[in-house]
Amino acid sequence: MEEKIKNDFEKIIENSKFSNKDIELKRDFLNKFIVSGFPNKKLENWKFSDLNQIIKKNIGDLSFYTNYSIPNKLNPSIYIDGLEHNKIVFINGRIEKIDFKYEEKDKIQISDQFELKKDTKVTNSLINLNNAFANKYFKIVIKKNYSIRKPLVIYHTTNNINSKNINLRLDFVLEKNSSLKIVDIFNDQSEKNFINVFYNFELNQDSILKNYKIDQIENNNIKYSFNNIVQQENSVSETFILSSGSNFIKNEINCDLIGKYSSAFINGIFSLKQKKHHEIKTNINHLIDNTKSYQLIKSVLENESKAVYQGKIFVDSKAQKTDGYQLSKAILLNETTEFNAKPELEIYADDVKCSHGSASGSLNDDAIFYLMSRGLNYTEAKKLLINGFLLEVVEKITDSQIKNLIKNMIGLKE
Amino acid sequence: MKKEIENLKEYKYGFTTDVENIRAPKGLNEDTIKFISEIKKEPKWMLEWRLKAFERLKKLKEPNWQKPKYPKIDYQDLYYYSAPKNASSKPKDIKDLDPKILETYKKLGIPLEEQKRLNGIAVDAVFDSVSVATTFKEKLNDVGVIFCSISEAIQKHPNLVKKYLGSVIPITDHYFATLNSAVFTDGSFVYIPEGVRCPMELSTYFRINASQTGQFERTLIIADKGSYVSYLEGCTAPMRDENQLHAANVELIALDDAEIKYSTVQNWYPGDEDGKGGIYNFVTKRGLCKGTNSKISWTQVETGSAITWKYPSCILKGDNSIGEFYSIAITNNHQKADTGTKMIHLGKNTKSKIISKGISAGLSDMTYRGLVDISSKANNSSNYTQCDSLLMGNKCGAHTVPYIKNKNSKSNVAHEATTSKISEDQLHYCQQRGLNSEEAVGLIVNGFCKEVLQQLPMEFAVEAQKLVGISLEGSVG
Amino acid sequence: MLKINNLNAKIKNKSILKDFKLEINPGEVHAIMGPNGSGKSTLSNILSGKKGYDVSGEILFENKNLFKLETEERAHEGIFLAFQYPLEIPGVNTNIFLKTSLNAIKKARGEKELDALEFLNLVKKKAKELKFEEEKLNRQLNVGFSGGEKKKNEILQMSILQPKLSILDETDSGLDIDALRIVADGVNSLRKKDNSFLIITHYQRLLDYIKPDYVHVLINGKIMKSGGPELAIELEKKGYESYN
Repeated sequence: MEEKIKNDFEKIIENSKFSNKDIELKRDFLNKFIVSGFPNKKLENWKFSDLNQIIKKNIGDLSFYTNYSIPNKLNPSIYIDGLEHNKIVFINGRIEKIDFKYEEKDKIQISDQFELKKDTKVTNSLINLNNAFANKYFKIVIKKNYSIRKPLVIYHTTNNINSKNINLRLDFVLEKNSSLKIVDIFNDQSEKNFINVFYNFELNQDSILKNYKIDQIENNNIKYSFNNIVQQENSVSETFILSSGSNFIKNEINCDLIGKYSSAFINGIFSLKQKKHHEIKTNINHLIDNTKSYQLIKSVLENESKAVYQGKIFVDSKAQKTDGYQLSKAILLNETTEFNAKPELEIYADDVKCSHGSASGSLNDDAIFYLMSRGLNYTEAKKLLINGFLLEVVEKITDSQIKNLIKNMIGLKE
Repeated sequence: MKKEIENLKEYKYGFTTDVENIRAPKGLNEDTIKFISEIKKEPKWMLEWRLKAFERLKKLKEPNWQKPKYPKIDYQDLYYYSAPKNASSKPKDIKDLDPKILETYKKLGIPLEEQKRLNGIAVDAVFDSVSVATTFKEKLNDVGVIFCSISEAIQKHPNLVKKYLGSVIPITDHYFATLNSAVFTDGSFVYIPEGVRCPMELSTYFRINASQTGQFERTLIIADKGSYVSYLEGCTAPMRDENQLHAANVELIALDDAEIKYSTVQNWYPGDEDGKGGIYNFVTKRGLCKGTNSKISWTQVETGSAITWKYPSCILKGDNSIGEFYSIAITNNHQKADTGTKMIHLGKNTKSKIISKGISAGLSDMTYRGLVDISSKANNSSNYTQCDSLLMGNKCGAHTVPYIKNKNSKSNVAHEATTSKISEDQLHYCQQRGLNSEEAVGLIVNGFCKEVLQQLPMEFAVEAQKLVGISLEGSVG
Repeated sequence: MLKINNLNAKIKNKSILKDFKLEINPGEVHAIMGPNGSGKSTLSNILSGKKGYDVSGEILFENKNLFKLETEERAHEGIFLAFQYPLEIPGVNTNIFLKTSLNAIKKARGEKELDALEFLNLVKKKAKELKFEEEKLNRQLNVGFSGGEKKKNEILQMSILQPKLSILDETDSGLDIDALRIVADGVNSLRKKDNSFLIITHYQRLLDYIKPDYVHVLINGKIMKSGGPELAIELEKKGYESYN
């Protein structure tokens, strides 16, 4: 792999306009990635999902080269109907469109004139890979006191590519008292690629981020998405993950609560109907007093599917009055399904309220019997129960428009 | 109670006994292993087994995934065998035992010669590397129960030992387990014949006395079909500046319809307030529910040791078998503990229950680490896990790391965990009723631990309750 | 309407009902009284089709063999069980559940299904009659309901689904006197010449409000004595011991 990856890297450098400093840093990141390679199950974080094996088995040899100088053709039919929204469209890792037409122009600042930084606080081999190969990345700043009027939908599209590694990155800054709503949606028209997404969020005082991540369309790609969120005083982040469509996807959220009264909410659904393997990994770091986090993850698994939830709450010794909660529940519908969980607490302060719970098992027979005694047949009873089971998570979505959108997507009835 | 606590403020088991020792030369090598085997008059197969483990050990590395880190142990600078001179061949009668050793056990609250009249527990007393006395042998003999030192069992019951030793913890296991297989010195052996309910509690009392000595004992308990046994284990060591290694292996085997209840009150010397000295307690305990309807229940109260690192586990192989783990772990000052359990569900209708209570105070660090693994064949199995942590102060840590794997849609796994502190209101209420703050803490902590304390046999429960209070001395500001 | 002949029921080889016989005609109210462990709940479970029992004998409901019908088919035929411990089902909205259930039954009977508006009107009316707070119907099924509310919810479901045979399994347990009266009123208002009731209870209390036509004493899986309403009063005085 080493020679191939180096060749692909040089080709990208040739065809793009990076500054010399950037190129130097990128080469650094590349070398770091080459040393570690794709993560495997020997790493605690990847214990339940051996990405190295998964890529080997499903893709084989990857190509890391993307020609960022040639634009791709936009296909407006992928846009969400009946929802007024701003857009960013990625096609095969290249930004083809940025459109904030519903917003005041001077309230949103978009720029790709940023240089890479050497020391990112959070790092792993896939972020190194991302930094080495991603195109010039955009930083989007929401100005002070401005609340975005319409949601920003970020389309991740792939087409006509195969066995490729796609890396993309976006940085967001929410200035004081601003708010941003993102719908992050995958739309894959191609197979067997490894897509590596890296978002950075900087939430300043009193800002609000709502981030709805949707992987619903059936596809054969392998994905890793890493969101890094840093939160100042009294800021709120809400993340919702619908994990359903890809062959493999791991959503990793790292959230540092560094300002008092900041809070983070993560809600997720695994709805896996076929032989797929999905994971959600969260790290919530309570680093100052009076912060709050809440996580709820529910899974419905069928037909040889496997879901993994690794959720960690870390409480620093300074973080008194922390309120941390985490719950995962899974329904296994077939004998061939598997649910693995590692709900972890690491606590160094005594005046905190932290708890986690995890439950997995079959559908509740008594509930099925109760519903059947009222005249529903087995299939109807099962459907109603699963519906109710998942609805609890969707109901946590605070934006009613997006809530309905997602309900329709997964066919949930109220 | 108050006076008692005052008396017990110091680690009261920290004295040393001045007896003349026979020691193996320092160092970990084939000669040391041959020395141990020879002095124990072991048959050839036993020596070969040890050497095989030693060969394996050379290829293994010390694990390093655990949270508590410790300075590198120089295995060549340790004694692997130390025994009181005149106890190297075990006296036939307790009367013939070195009076100094008798006195030691009396001071520890385990008076060997009066034991019978005290509470009807049969005791195997292990002093450094050897078993010095086993009480109640005849009475147990009457019902066919074999309770003796493992050294004696190797000579007198070789078939049982050959069949089961290493059957749950193979010599190819992890570093410390394999080290034990190579150099184990003594420990207890129990065999409960078919259909027998052991008429009394069996107990081993481990005492480390000599300095610079590792203690590597090996316990093997076999409960034949339809039998029952309750086994208790207690441990203490003198106060020394150095860290001492204790790497024991305990294997339990329960056949059809048999039940083993294994309780531990671990109170090895934890080191002083500044974290100097103390025992490294790296123990491998594993039970195999081999037969259908068998049951293994671990209860542990872990208050001592500088570092505790153990996961008493159950392999639920037989259909309908049950595994239980009840644990209280308390760390104070600079103590560190990384403990928990593994419940491996292989058979159908297997059930397991984990109740873990961790309390950290001072500058200590506590980790619960556990695995619940339901295999695809373990239909209709279930696990319930509850792990609660209590922190006292913000210089200590509590870490909960459960691994949950469910591969069976007909089985249910439920896990709950909480972290809390002792509330001001609770303290105030108790103090208003006349308790001082330390007594109040003791009371509240005992309440927090109640579910686990209840699992202990009566005599141990009282002792454990006192220990819980003492271990937290000085932790309330 | 209901004919039970020589019903034997075992669970894990333990015999619970032994040669049990009972016949209920249209319009009749029967009460089965018995101490704990006498087999009362087993009877209601078997009538509603709960799995896990080893059964022999015969149960005919309007001349149909009940053993050949699934739980939901029995509900379609008009058997309703008011559960002793109504289940909490998180995430499932009570109204949605009731509507789905009612329409499933109507569909099976070849009747016209109700649309949302018709259903809502019906539920409103019934809830009012039973003094059941309408707001609760928008909550998750039985979640956070008090014991009394859960029992009332069962009776509400009964009055909406209009069964032919209603089995009330210890419906009176956990009810205060006001709730008991409301539940009894609900049951009495459903008493018609075609509708029958089987009331399973430990105490005579409920029978003060719902007057049975027949009372049976169930002990160790067998009916030891049958009689009129006076038998319940006699039982209250003498206790179950005298029938052993």
